[in-house]
Amino acid sequence: MHVLLGLVRPDTGRLEIAGREVELASYSPGAALRAGVGMVHQHSALVPAMTVPENIALGAVSGSVLFRRARVRARVTRLAEQYALDVPLDVPVAQLSVGQRQRAEILRTLDCGARVIVLDEPTAALTPGETQALFPGLRRLRDGGSAIVFISHKLEEIEGLADRVAVLRRGVLVAVKGAREADARELGSLMLGRDLPGLVRLPAVCREELVPAFALRDLEAPGLREASRLKGVSLAVQSGEIVGVAGIDGNGQRELEEVLAGVRPMTAGRIEVSGRPVAPSVGRLRAAGVSHLSGERERGGLVAGFTIAENLVLKGSYDDPRFFRGGLFDREAARRYARGVMQRFGIEPADPDLDIATLSGGNAQKVAVARELDSRPRVLVAVNPTRGLDVGSARFVNEQLLALRFEGGAVLLVSTELDEVLFLADRIVALVEGRVVSVPRDANRAVLGAILLSGAVQSAVA
Amino acid sequence: MTARAAALAALRPVLSVVLALGMLSLGLLLLGYAPLPALLALASGAFGSSAAWTATLLKASPLLLTGLAVALSFRCGVWNIGAEGQLYAGALAATAVTTRLLPGAPAAILAPLMSLAGAAGGALLAAIAGALRAFRGVSEVISTILLNFVAIQAVALAVHGPLQEASRAYPQSDALPAAALLPAFGRLHLGVAIAVTLAFGVQLLIFRTALGFRMRAVGLSPVAARFAGISPERHALVSIAIAGALAGLAGAFEVAGVTERLYEGLSPGYGYTAIAVALLARLNPLAVLPAALFFGALEAGAGAMQRTAGVPSVVTQIVQGLVILVFVAIPFEGRRAPLPGAPADGAA
Repeated sequence: MHVLLGLVRPDTGRLEIAGREVELASYSPGAALRAGVGMVHQHSALVPAMTVPENIALGAVSGSVLFRRARVRARVTRLAEQYALDVPLDVPVAQLSVGQRQRAEILRTLDCGARVIVLDEPTAALTPGETQALFPGLRRLRDGGSAIVFISHKLEEIEGLADRVAVLRRGVLVAVKGAREADARELGSLMLGRDLPGLVRLPAVCREELVPAFALRDLEAPGLREASRLKGVSLAVQSGEIVGVAGIDGNGQRELEEVLAGVRPMTAGRIEVSGRPVAPSVGRLRAAGVSHLSGERERGGLVAGFTIAENLVLKGSYDDPRFFRGGLFDREAARRYARGVMQRFGIEPADPDLDIATLSGGNAQKVAVARELDSRPRVLVAVNPTRGLDVGSARFVNEQLLALRFEGGAVLLVSTELDEVLFLADRIVALVEGRVVSVPRDANRAVLGAILLSGAVQSAVA
Repeated sequence: MTARAAALAALRPVLSVVLALGMLSLGLLLLGYAPLPALLALASGAFGSSAAWTATLLKASPLLLTGLAVALSFRCGVWNIGAEGQLYAGALAATAVTTRLLPGAPAAILAPLMSLAGAAGGALLAAIAGALRAFRGVSEVISTILLNFVAIQAVALAVHGPLQEASRAYPQSDALPAAALLPAFGRLHLGVAIAVTLAFGVQLLIFRTALGFRMRAVGLSPVAARFAGISPERHALVSIAIAGALAGLAGAFEVAGVTERLYEGLSPGYGYTAIAVALLARLNPLAVLPAALFFGALEAGAGAMQRTAGVPSVVTQIVQGLVILVFVAIPFEGRRAPLPGAPADGAA
């Protein structure tokens, strides 16, 4: 996609836009814009303090020195109506929801005259409702003659929206199909390069115990924003159970993760492992058998620039006599240990001296999984553990979570991926505005989505 | 990293030195000097005789210690620009202890005490910056630069006041008592050997100890380090204090091994050149040895170049700058610099 946008120059090949071959030597982001190519990035590229029309004027290629606020606003209003992309125009972008920001970004590309619009994982941060609201606008754009490239790993979205599907695997275009001819299973195996047998999820093996393996009691902690402040979170996870915490980003997930990882002080409440309170520091939590897995490399404690072996011994305790004796770091021991772990978890290439930064996201996450699960922890806190992973690696992570559960581990799965929560969890709660909201046992996607959203609606009123 | 990329990365410092000398030659040519005789004069002034070697090593020694200080703190993600001030603080402390506090102590006590005082002086000054960062979030870049002024002016104040020599003739301290001076072989003092030993020590500290492991984790990724149970604040403080001790030792060795007195302008900017030394060594303590030697040779050979070839000695400072500029401009790990705006990993 960066080639199409003029950010990366291809080594060979041709690029045609609207039937005309592009001069690659002089193809730049500016040239892409002039040729009508626009992109909606996964992470918002809007200035938070500015309104939507101001943001759009920033990227406009009008060449005008003056900023004609009223004129830009009228133009944006017209576009928004034309394509059913509803966005508040007079408040700073910072106050908009993720879905609204995304629609604003689409408006911006349209305002630049884009006829080829690339959407990079646009639904990653959207609720099911917001996703559904996005699609009519995209269809209207298509009917108006625009070409839309919709990048996603969510197969049901592709089936619901696309006319044609192209599958990229490791930089190779492996298939282009009409959306009618391709089913989800076939696309999945094309993406993976091999058949993907259905993941077997055994029935729950946990018993209702008097003393849960892992419990949070009235946890309170300061938040990045008022909405994400933890306001008395209570939860219990039995051994052999996966409890899913569903939620939309910004409702306290980061804060909960940080408290349970031991890096954010809590102001009230208790964390208990097998009924015993544990001091909320990284070292104490780990010593009590609480592991932490994150979908973000750094928050998962992976140090880019460290080798795989070095990352595998970063475990919150630096006096482990296996690797650190008398204040010295035994590199050889770490390497030997790494070779064993990589073999047990099937990590390829099995070279303990590779810099973790050179691994793909999937392989790096496998290293994190191996580090967290090799000690067979009693409790695992997994936060968006498959975010951004390819199908095969995500599958590996899910298998490992299920295996730990089967062995009697207590897993707290905090995730914004509803499907993941619905599939893996034995019990689901929702985290809305820093509070735990109970979810009926038989809740489906729509019910869960509505619960997550209801909290957001209430806050908008209040 | 592939073997080829590793070789390229290791060659980068050598390549930048060669390129910088090439650029200097071109410049000299344009200015009407013959480059080859100038470079030969420079080389012979630095390595041509045992006296030249001595001069080079005496210049390289403080660069080695301060270069190690910079490399150590940079490894922990602490942008310590304060090696110069820490050097002065070390020199001040060493002078105060030996000329005022215990001038009569025997050599077996006074010389080690002098070194300890120097290390402590540098460490204390550096710890101010470390504490400001750890507890108040103050950028160490700002605080170490400002503390440089404080330390340099404190030395000026001292040699005009409490530490001024008994005769009050010049703004300088009394000569250090003989018992405080470092044992020497000719002009070459023991501090040079200690500095070389410390290069191996710092190498071990960074790569073979639990503390070094944690400091490197903090330097590479403070967020990941925090999630792995390592306090970035505490380790920043510890690393800059150790760095300050090394730089302070450089100051103590200067007064007790070379000048034998404290005065203003003691250092020709060793603590600043140290940043170039550390970068050229790619923050590897053992590589600081040749890097310090190279910069020491430039300092030592500059005078000879001026005398023999008539080329102003300040051009060596141009070389120092050029080396670093060329060094950072050479693409490394076999990768071409990305086009503007392209993300480094080139994901989508």
